[in-house]
Amino acid sequence: MNLYKSNHHRHKHSSYGIKSIDFYACQSSLKFWNSSYKVLSACFILILCILLDCVWVSIAVIVTTGLVNLLVNKVSAGDYIDFLKIPIAFLMLGCIVIVFGISKNPVGDYNIFLFGGYLYFTKTSIGQALALFFKVMGAVSVMYLLALSTPVGEVIMVLKKAHVPDVVVELMNMIYRFIFILAEVHANMKIAAMARLGYIDFKTSCFSFGQIGGNLFILSLQKANTYYDAMVSRGYEGNFPFWEEQKSVKIWQIGIVAAYTGSLLVLYILVK
Amino acid sequence: MENHRKEEILSVQHLMYEYQSGKPVLQDVSISIGKGEKIAVMGSNGAGKSTFFLHLNGVLQAENGEIFFHGDKIGKKNLKQLHKHVGFVFQDADSQIIASSVQAEVAFGPMNLKLSREEIKDRVNQALDYMDLQEYKERPPHYLSGGEKKRVSIADIIAMKSEVVLFDEPTAALDPLSAEMLEEVLEKLHQEGKTLLVSTHDVDFAYRWAERVVIFHQGNIIADDNALSIFQQENILKQAHLKKPEMLTVYEILLQENLVQIESYPRQAKELTEVLLKNKEKR
Repeated sequence: MNLYKSNHHRHKHSSYGIKSIDFYACQSSLKFWNSSYKVLSACFILILCILLDCVWVSIAVIVTTGLVNLLVNKVSAGDYIDFLKIPIAFLMLGCIVIVFGISKNPVGDYNIFLFGGYLYFTKTSIGQALALFFKVMGAVSVMYLLALSTPVGEVIMVLKKAHVPDVVVELMNMIYRFIFILAEVHANMKIAAMARLGYIDFKTSCFSFGQIGGNLFILSLQKANTYYDAMVSRGYEGNFPFWEEQKSVKIWQIGIVAAYTGSLLVLYILVK
Repeated sequence: MENHRKEEILSVQHLMYEYQSGKPVLQDVSISIGKGEKIAVMGSNGAGKSTFFLHLNGVLQAENGEIFFHGDKIGKKNLKQLHKHVGFVFQDADSQIIASSVQAEVAFGPMNLKLSREEIKDRVNQALDYMDLQEYKERPPHYLSGGEKKRVSIADIIAMKSEVVLFDEPTAALDPLSAEMLEEVLEKLHQEGKTLLVSTHDVDFAYRWAERVVIFHQGNIIADDNALSIFQQENILKQAHLKKPEMLTVYEILLQENLVQIESYPRQAKELTEVLLKNKEKR
């Protein structure tokens, strides 16, 4: 546990958000659920959230998945807000476009005169934008619930079961592993460059960045070579039969998801 | 030599290999390896040790020369025999570990051997127990420390149950405690009758551990004998950029100064103490 904590600490200071999500997925209490079942359930809730197209259902999903993420997946509140910031930023931009319209005449419920034209918005457009915002946030929360409770390796195995081509599945597996190796090599090179004043001003920073990029490329080629040798030495013959832990689906787990989706439907009927 | 009495497991004859650049890495290497031997492979950087190991394991195939495993000549068809029975623990654990959890990683070799699910599970558990890794079973390898990754990379090979295990500079980049653990594992594997080849720059370790030392120099084997007689040949040590082990130097001084008489060369501090105590009794 100690190791986890120290690693976590390091990740907080790094700019790789992916590391933190991955870290949470590995220590989640939902880790022992069958991964296919988790992916299916998440997709089902996601579809429900989109099809019902109801603000209250979306808000319910956002709140409940948020709580599960915080309490069951044990994500710290600060990190969870950080995770949500990224989609929110994109979503805001999209919503602004929907809310505002431009016209030569003063139309709409509210308008502002700007540079010879009118920037206007209507009550319905605000309603639309809000509905869209909550719908998307609901969907994003469900996906975070999945990402924060299922390690990437297991999601890839689910894709394999869903008959995604072997080449894609194997590549995903290797890329996933390689991201961490290259990120570490990159971090080391960057520190080494910093130690020699490589980032002292903007110009040198640009230069160092380029050098590191180039080196990283060559290094990754070399690493790929040794990697291949290591695989062959353990009997690799062109396909990866990855080991997968068999986790059975428990009846209570089906019950939980059924009760949850059921209550979402009840909520939908009540507010309609 | 006593080696000849042991059952031969691997035999290499006139192995030659050059990289694409045309620079020969192995010039003419011949060696016979007996079952259960503890061999240290030494030599300066670029002397051909790693390339030699890659051949023993079947990753590289020689342009010239032959390899025999249990007397069978290895060709393209039975190259699998080498992958299966000769395990290779790479120097850098990160370039060996490929799966996204420790358990899946250790299972990679046995999965490639096309074993049954039950058998794989057993082997993985055994290997994890062996390397004391049970608590890390579910963890992704990138959250492990260097020493732990090394243990995983050894568990990888243990799960394959290969008869011969090659270690490429295993003690490099390990802290003393991890290095000590590694020596214990090597001893345990030896007790189980595995044939071990370890490439190393650490002369003290080689003298302490190995029964036989093979020295590579510019793609050739320039010396192959028991540890003591190798480390007593100053000219060979000089040629291969090696040094005399501290323990041997100390013992030779003791002999020279007539402080000890018994000529059973101690290899460890414990053995040296025994010799000194015995000597004291005699006086």
